[in-house]
Amino acid sequence: MIEPVAMANFFTVFFSAAMVIMTGALYALLFAYSRIKHAPRLMSLAYLAYLGLFTSVMTLANAANLFHNTFWTVIVGLMLLGYLLAPHAIWHLCIGTHADEHPADDAQPAKLFQQS
Amino acid sequence: MAQEIWWASPSFWRKSAIWVTGLSFVILIFLTFDTVKQITAGSPRVPAYSVINKRIDYVFNTERNFQVPVIGQDEPLFGKMLTEEEAEALVSHGKLTTQAKNCMNCHTLLGNGSYYAPDLTKSWLDPSWGSKEAREQGMVDFLMNPQDRLHNALGRKMPNLGITEDEAKATVAFLKWMSSIDTNGFPANFKPIDQADAPVAAAPATAEPAPEVSAAPAQQ
Amino acid sequence: MSALGILTNANLNGGQKLAVKYFTVAIALFGAQVLFGLLAGIQYLNPDFLFGILDFSVNRMLHINAMVVWLLFGFIGSVYWLLEDESGVPVAGLALGNLIFWIFTLAVVVVVLVYLLVQVGPGELKSIWLINEGREYIEAPRWADIGIVVCVLAFFYNVAATFMKGKFTGIAGVLVLDLIALAGLYLAGMYYTPNISMDQHWWWWVIHLWVEATWEVLVGCLMAYGLIKTMGVRRKIVETWLYIEVALMFGSGILGLGHHYFWIGTPEYWFTIGGFFSALEPIPLVAMVVHAVFDAGHHKLKSTNNPALAWIIAQAFGNFFGAGVWGFMHTLPQINLYTHGTQWTASHGHLAFFGAYATMVIAFLYIALQKWRGGVYMSSNLAGAWKWKWAIFLLHLGMIAMVMGLLIAGYEQSQIERAIEGSTWMGYFTAQAHPWFVQGMFWRQIGGWVFAAGFVLLAWDLMTIGKRETRPALVHSEAEGT
Repeated sequence: MIEPVAMANFFTVFFSAAMVIMTGALYALLFAYSRIKHAPRLMSLAYLAYLGLFTSVMTLANAANLFHNTFWTVIVGLMLLGYLLAPHAIWHLCIGTHADEHPADDAQPAKLFQQS
Repeated sequence: MAQEIWWASPSFWRKSAIWVTGLSFVILIFLTFDTVKQITAGSPRVPAYSVINKRIDYVFNTERNFQVPVIGQDEPLFGKMLTEEEAEALVSHGKLTTQAKNCMNCHTLLGNGSYYAPDLTKSWLDPSWGSKEAREQGMVDFLMNPQDRLHNALGRKMPNLGITEDEAKATVAFLKWMSSIDTNGFPANFKPIDQADAPVAAAPATAEPAPEVSAAPAQQ
Repeated sequence: MSALGILTNANLNGGQKLAVKYFTVAIALFGAQVLFGLLAGIQYLNPDFLFGILDFSVNRMLHINAMVVWLLFGFIGSVYWLLEDESGVPVAGLALGNLIFWIFTLAVVVVVLVYLLVQVGPGELKSIWLINEGREYIEAPRWADIGIVVCVLAFFYNVAATFMKGKFTGIAGVLVLDLIALAGLYLAGMYYTPNISMDQHWWWWVIHLWVEATWEVLVGCLMAYGLIKTMGVRRKIVETWLYIEVALMFGSGILGLGHHYFWIGTPEYWFTIGGFFSALEPIPLVAMVVHAVFDAGHHKLKSTNNPALAWIIAQAFGNFFGAGVWGFMHTLPQINLYTHGTQWTASHGHLAFFGAYATMVIAFLYIALQKWRGGVYMSSNLAGAWKWKWAIFLLHLGMIAMVMGLLIAGYEQSQIERAIEGSTWMGYFTAQAHPWFVQGMFWRQIGGWVFAAGFVLLAWDLMTIGKRETRPALVHSEAEGT
């Protein structure tokens, strides 16, 4: 079911796992920033971050012996695909949920801090 | 108001949240039924309490690719065979002692707890007890009077928690029973104490300085 | 109505008057957590310190119990804080709420005194009922467990009845259901069994499902309220995102329980479940990042309360690193086999609890103080702002030092104690004596002192911020851009 990490690979596992989260966040950040600022050039940087994410996942998978087992191989595939698509999906959700937003609707702004 | 997209509406996500939560919980309940069955004492993973009448070892299993507990020949604790009820009562007394003495806020049990003192999962099998013959009494002595046993160069030691002899024996029973639990190979690469039957009357030549105080885990 | 800058209950509604009592106790207990953490840390460096008087086990128990209770008091206070505002009616059964506050606080004091003075008991059920249950995080004796459930039920009554009487908003719905789960789950930790596998199986229901599910959703509710009130974000959007968050949190969190079921006797299929849900962990983080950028681009945010905003930003980062990065580094069973039960866990625990929860409660304290002082100005150029800024800096610096010290110690432990020596007692002490471990613990202690200095400054700032300030708070309806 699992093949424990060889001691020589401990550091690789810790580091690549941390990089999975870091590059994942960087990809999401650059992706969203590129869209909101309409800056297509940033989008190539975003995909560069995804490339980093891809590399990190593969490094992690290798070091943690995930490819020695079908189930864990499938998990790696899902991670690569899911992390690629997640920012796209969330972005659409942002557009969708904020669709009918315009300033006139802001009928109930903060009263909390106003002295009454 | 602009038209609302169904997959971005509050009602869609409210329902999704409820369904996702409900579904996860239902799956968890089903798994819990199965897991509870598999970890009830008397199952293959968590042996009956009377396992303390037997020799327990921790051996590498090539099929499962990790060490698993192996139940061996009769080897009653403190030389006394117990019935299932007696064994359960003894282990239970030991477990209560570990709780009342707050063991988990220094030690880990099955890897959970605190990190100020060694893990107790396989402490019954620890080579530091010297020899298999000295182990039982050594553990009892240690539990009752740990405060002046320096086990390491760090100066860290266990305080005297007022453990009585009965409580100490019960705790040893609990620890022996715990070592029989199938923990999926945790801890890995553990080197258990030699429990092979020594030729009669052979001196424990390999044991460390282990006279009456043999219990104190290896001096450093 | 009173003058600006004066701390008076006249500025508060009924629920908020109760809330500030909870907040006061919360801060005192935060102080206790820091104090006992320092004592326990010293014992790593000097094992003879208080040996036989206040042993490590006692200090450590008080350290983690104070944390659970102060966060809980912070959450309960925060909910009372928003209750009347959110529902539009006075708190139903406020007198009961007040009574329960005093009972709860008294019970905490008694439990702490028993921990300190009695410490341990004989190996009988009686000890578990009266002294200490000996189970990490939920050591409180059984009588106190029952008391906690009664208190939480009374609190639940206050919340549910108030929302029934007034507006039952989306936030209210999530909050009420979450509190049912919170109270119900605690029951799973209230029984005795000689079977340690069974014990830990149910124990994780309380610990994991509280910390990684119901607490997260509770914080989500507080955050949602905060966004509506302090940023002027529209309710419909905030509530939709609260539902999305609940779906993601519970969707990944409930079965995420699996990653605690690798090594406690539970079956091997939990490897699969734990592994799958570990892979899902980054998704809520990605959602947070994308949505935060989206929001920042759409609303020209101008803060009405700088310290609260700073702590909310700290929460975002703390949650990301503590729960996200530190969690993911050792969550796969292939590596967790070696990190489980080492200082790795302590490193992750410190950063995640502080980053995800302590920060949020502190942000709420600043929001509360602003109103308590009559809606006083708390934006830029605040007199004495160095205090909250230095507090936030020192608390984070101390925390990072502690977390890195523990990380290095844990890394060394996973190699030497676990992988090489196979977790024997000898292996344990070999690893504990290794220079990486010893120095890691030394730097952890330095970090602890820095953190403690930050706490003192924080407490001082909470007592004084806005004092003698005469400008009123900025208000969002006019501050808002777009």
